Amino acid sequence: MLAPAHKTTLKEMFKKYFILYRAFFKASAIAEIEFRLNFAMKIFNDIIWYAAQVFTFEVLFLHTKLIGTWDVYQTRVFLGVLFIIDAMYMIFLQENLDKFSEKVRKGELDLLLTKPVNSQFMISFQKVSVSCFGNLMIATGWFVSSLLNLQEVSWGRSLWIFLLVPCGFTILYSIRFCMAALSVILVRADNLQFVWYQLYRLGMRPDSIYLRWLQIIILTILPVGLIASVPARAILDPPETWVYVWSLAAAPLSLWLSSRFWKFALSKYQSASS
Amino acid sequence: MSFTAFYRRNLGFFKLAIASNLEYRLNFLLDSVFQPLVNSIVEMVLWMAIFKGAQAIEIAGFTQNYYLAYALWGTFVARITVNWMYEFRMIEEIDTGSINGLLVRPMHYYEYYLSQLLGYKLVTTTVSFIFPLTLITLFDLPTQWSRIPAAMALIFYYVIFVYGMSFCIASLAFIFNKVNSLTVTKNLALWLLTGELFPLDLMPENIKNLFLALPFSCGVYIPVGYITGRIDSSVLIQGFQTTTIGLVIVSVLGFFLWRKGMKQYAGTGA
Repeated sequence: MLAPAHKTTLKEMFKKYFILYRAFFKASAIAEIEFRLNFAMKIFNDIIWYAAQVFTFEVLFLHTKLIGTWDVYQTRVFLGVLFIIDAMYMIFLQENLDKFSEKVRKGELDLLLTKPVNSQFMISFQKVSVSCFGNLMIATGWFVSSLLNLQEVSWGRSLWIFLLVPCGFTILYSIRFCMAALSVILVRADNLQFVWYQLYRLGMRPDSIYLRWLQIIILTILPVGLIASVPARAILDPPETWVYVWSLAAAPLSLWLSSRFWKFALSKYQSASS
Repeated sequence: MSFTAFYRRNLGFFKLAIASNLEYRLNFLLDSVFQPLVNSIVEMVLWMAIFKGAQAIEIAGFTQNYYLAYALWGTFVARITVNWMYEFRMIEEIDTGSINGLLVRPMHYYEYYLSQLLGYKLVTTTVSFIFPLTLITLFDLPTQWSRIPAAMALIFYYVIFVYGMSFCIASLAFIFNKVNSLTVTKNLALWLLTGELFPLDLMPENIKNLFLALPFSCGVYIPVGYITGRIDSSVLIQGFQTTTIGLVIVSVLGFFLWRKGMKQYAGTGA
């Protein structure tokens, strides 16, 4: 007689994924430290990227008092939020999603699909860039110092950051994942990944610089404006209520849509392995 | 080895790059059409916002139209002078050992990818040229069309220099294996040093002079500044000179790194 099927509880499932992620973390750390030059350069790269962003705005502010509706101090806070979310992206997602297309082409996706875990989780979080934790610290340091340099800051409003940054990160993940998952359907679309970076650039500028129609697009249809601009605005100059509500709703919605899209993409998948 | 054989062989590599890039049309269109379009929009919108914020007719002596023209041409030129794809490919081949298949052929690895890079750049440049051409005409932005041939000559000369840097980095893969992040470091640094982010003349004078003394400014600022009328021909000539010096340096460095790498390379793994 067969034993009754055991139904996995939410707690057990959480534990299972936690243990799995811990194993991913350990394996990634060992693999990264093996190539020390690469490890050091990864930290250095993000510092250059941060420096380039800061330098650009600092030079531009030598010639103007405002960009959009923000002055140099407010823009520094915006950059702080952007750096934090970017560092989180680098730690948890970049390594996985940038190589998505390659995994599909080389047939490595097949192996991931056979595992008894959620395939979206597997392909999204298998690698962790441990070296980028240093970048997260630098980004947080920049954010806090630029917040302290503001002439007036509402600390109560600043608490929104703890809610809106995870939302921004979730939205970032969902859009990026869908772009990467397109490679399951299109197979050879490496440049699609670069297109993502171009679209993301719209979110790397304060949303107030855009014309109204473009601003609405980046807050709704292509919500890259929710990634850093909305969390920064919550601290600097609070947006309308619908923006908060939408930001909080868009995060789970985009995650759900990414899961649906992944299922759709898999239904079109033709194995590439021999 | 006769020059004819050398020419024919490299022409073959050149055509190979054109054919392989046109093979996946969607990929090609994204690369040569969609990316520069979005990038141009983002940059142009930023400049409009800066002028609106500054409430000024001129910034550093130039009107908004000059900056829009710079953003547009800058995006176009930066796409030509950057090298990601072939550099990553070279690093991977050396790291995985699949370079063995190329080392046994009667050619040098350097010429194999240089010809391919030039072929790839030629085809993407030709297609994406539609953008500056259309938008500049449409918005009547400042451009001196007669200066384009000289600027393009500097751009393609600079591409050879950039390839020299790629070759040096790829040669390091013989020693360190995984050097992909060096490519990222180099390209991020170039992003700033070339003047892609903003015209170098907006920087304080001493920093601007330092940047101009380096060959990297030929990646965007000098050719674009020359096309849009921000700078005169003396700076363009200076650009040719600094690129020549840079080319000599990276060629010598590449020669030694390749030789050292070849001595160390075991050729396993293919």
